[in-house]
Amino acid sequence: MANSIAVPSPAAVHTARTAAVAEPVPWYAWTVAAAATCAIVGLHWDISWHMTIGRDTFWTPAHLCIQACAVIGCLSCAYLILNTTFHGDIANKRGSVRVLGFYAPLGAFIAAWGGVAMLTSAPFDDWWHNAYGLDVKILSPPHVLLLIGILAVEGGGLLLVMGKMNSSSAELRRKLDAIFLYLGGVILIQMMILVYEYSDRVLQHSAIFYRAVGLAAPVVLVAIAAASGRRWAATTVATVYMFFWAAMLWILPLFPAEPKLGPVYRQITHMVPMAFPVLLIAPAFVLDLLRGSKIAQSKWKFAIVASVLFLAALIVAQWPFANLLTSAHANNWFLGGQYHPASEPTSASDVRAIFVHYERSVGQFWSGIGIALIGTLFSTSIGLACGNWMRRVQR
Amino acid sequence: MKKTCLIALLFSASLASAHIGTNNVYFDGYAGPYHLLVIVQPPVVIPGVADIQIRVLTPGVSELRIVPMRIVGQGSDMAPVPDMAQKSSDDPQLYTGRLWIMLRGSWKVRIDASGTQGPAQLSVPIAAVSQFPLPMRRYLGALLTVLGLLLVVGLISIIGASVREASLKPGAVAENKTRRKARIAMASATVVVIAILWLSNSWWNAEAASNRQSVYRTPPVTVKLEGHQLQLHLENPNGANWAEPLRLNDLVPDHGHLMHLFLVRMPQMDAFEHLHPQQIELGNFVQQAPALPEGHYKIFGDVVHSTGFPETYVGNLDLPSITSAVSGDADDSGRQSAQPAGESSDLGDNDRMIWEKPSELKANQLLSLRFRVVDKNGAPVTDLEPYMGMAGHAVIISTDGNVFAHVHPSGSVPMVSVELAQTGHLPPTDTAAMADMPGMTHSAPMAPEVSFPWGFPRVGTYRIFVQVKRAGHVDTGVFEADVR
Repeated sequence: MANSIAVPSPAAVHTARTAAVAEPVPWYAWTVAAAATCAIVGLHWDISWHMTIGRDTFWTPAHLCIQACAVIGCLSCAYLILNTTFHGDIANKRGSVRVLGFYAPLGAFIAAWGGVAMLTSAPFDDWWHNAYGLDVKILSPPHVLLLIGILAVEGGGLLLVMGKMNSSSAELRRKLDAIFLYLGGVILIQMMILVYEYSDRVLQHSAIFYRAVGLAAPVVLVAIAAASGRRWAATTVATVYMFFWAAMLWILPLFPAEPKLGPVYRQITHMVPMAFPVLLIAPAFVLDLLRGSKIAQSKWKFAIVASVLFLAALIVAQWPFANLLTSAHANNWFLGGQYHPASEPTSASDVRAIFVHYERSVGQFWSGIGIALIGTLFSTSIGLACGNWMRRVQR
Repeated sequence: MKKTCLIALLFSASLASAHIGTNNVYFDGYAGPYHLLVIVQPPVVIPGVADIQIRVLTPGVSELRIVPMRIVGQGSDMAPVPDMAQKSSDDPQLYTGRLWIMLRGSWKVRIDASGTQGPAQLSVPIAAVSQFPLPMRRYLGALLTVLGLLLVVGLISIIGASVREASLKPGAVAENKTRRKARIAMASATVVVIAILWLSNSWWNAEAASNRQSVYRTPPVTVKLEGHQLQLHLENPNGANWAEPLRLNDLVPDHGHLMHLFLVRMPQMDAFEHLHPQQIELGNFVQQAPALPEGHYKIFGDVVHSTGFPETYVGNLDLPSITSAVSGDADDSGRQSAQPAGESSDLGDNDRMIWEKPSELKANQLLSLRFRVVDKNGAPVTDLEPYMGMAGHAVIISTDGNVFAHVHPSGSVPMVSVELAQTGHLPPTDTAAMADMPGMTHSAPMAPEVSFPWGFPRVGTYRIFVQVKRAGHVDTGVFEADVR
């Protein structure tokens, strides 16, 4: 029997052929997804850390989690760039773009750029603290550089996945699309962190809230939906945002913590999370419905109608929901109305759950809503342009 | 690195609230049975980190915990989790720690001591103010410039590549038209990036300007001579946006006086007066002018707010010769034609004040400035008595007038702030009850020597005026210190 040749069964032949044809999800899709996840977990954790413990160093777990985004994103994309440039075959280079003499997919360069921006923000932020004080506000130049860097890592990851999607078989495209939508959700989470100071529950009856959300959210929802082409893409992205945000709201208070920074206005025994997420699922659902209609065939018509409907759906969903969030019924683990930072005095509007009228008159409110509409239109148009461009990305 | 630290210390000493030229706090006190010597170096900017050093002078202390708290107002009754002060491995008596101070205003460092004699507490008041920020170090500026250029060049190149090649199928070559579009995109991106950098710079400038608004400014006092009366007018440019606004309607007496006013003739520094003006209306004080030689005077007015926040108002005044002085407050005192001594200052009647001067005076080093009073035979005097409740008062001024400190044997903080920090209440204003305050000397006989914990904030020459009371009369010893 030593000289006989084994004949494979038909089933085995089929399996082997399938394995040869089925292309795996490229490794960099997983690394950019991991980097993006590190960023949003780290950001949530860090903000919660500041609201609870208050005092930090560069080496807190939350900071390390954020920097892990830069390290993972930068290293994996640097490897991709160097490997393609110096060890890649002709086919690899022919499927790449060229930047400063290096070859790699476009997304790799953007993600690497984001990693460098994040690393640059670290010494800048350290100096800023020494010069102007420790973390006085979220929106400072070094913090914005950091957030832009994270966005670039996430956006680069998005393009890496998109480029592969546009040249893949249907099965691989389906798998990559799931990662693509997840990355879209991550970017939406970050955009909502960016405008968190303006999305407090007590501001949700003011135009400033709708201006902030109208500027931050549609660009992501529309871009991802346009690029993905999946029927319920925007709704999926909004679901990722809401589920992640709510999960952090539910998980963080499980961990014991005490304030290490004065003044302390209330005794705290557990981590304080960020507030309940904005109900973006409602306007996202409306966007998806609109994408399936005839209006979607005209870019400008779609942008205008989508902006109006987005804002209307947001107001219809969030305005009454804000009433619930500011009521005693919100003081539970699910809605988290009872969580307040240790440094927030009892006189603060958020603690007292009293709506702040950011605009001083009805006229100012409505002009604010008008500005919100313009902002939403701008955001939607940019998102539409980005989404349509991403659909064409091949490299 | 050494140079950097020195620069940092110099900058940290550039402004102060209670004193001029330094805001470091030196405090000698007791946590129950434990004798502690505390140094607090408040942060340069608020929010920021304060450095704490505690020297334990009583054996038996096993651990020290430190925590920052507001002295009054919301949050003053609840403390964050205290930090364990770290024991020095080189010096078992020395403990150190770092505490975050988050708001401008009146704070205290509460020290919880544990040891063989049980637990005890001591609170040290500090005035938290923002000073002018540190400039960016050259190497950091260079690093950020290089990284910034890399980001700008990288971004523009990426944009060019995205237009030129990103949408091409693998292997396809960009047409000339596409290449031209890419160049236009890169040129446009350059313009946009420059615009963004310009806007970012404007934002940075706006933040810096906003920060400058919250920097503490030495409040001015304007003084004029009307007949035999000095008329003082205070103005406070600080605290409009503070959690505890600085007003002139909440001044409280320290050692029985709303203001301790010091006049020093400059540049000779040979005439010195310690006066106590009366407030006639908000921000306006009057003082009977003492006999003074003609000249230019530097004026320092120490006051304390009801929050325990101390301030020194600073002014200048040119005076003619004043000979026929009207008597002022009983606690007023001074000295003229005062020639500084190195170690032995003549007090009249051949009595002398001797400074137990260290062999070398170094800047930014804790010193115990110790002075003895002896009679003509060199024997310790026996007639010392409390002067405004204290064994002595020392006023330390740099010869350029840019450093001023009013120090007591308990340290550099006003006693009313100490009382407020310890008890949460303002002390009584009558002298008899005041004598019961901690740190106030009221028992007789008193030792013929007095010492002051302090550190010179910078290199230079200083004049030290040391005042003690003997048999109802205030003696002022005058010394000169060369600090290296």
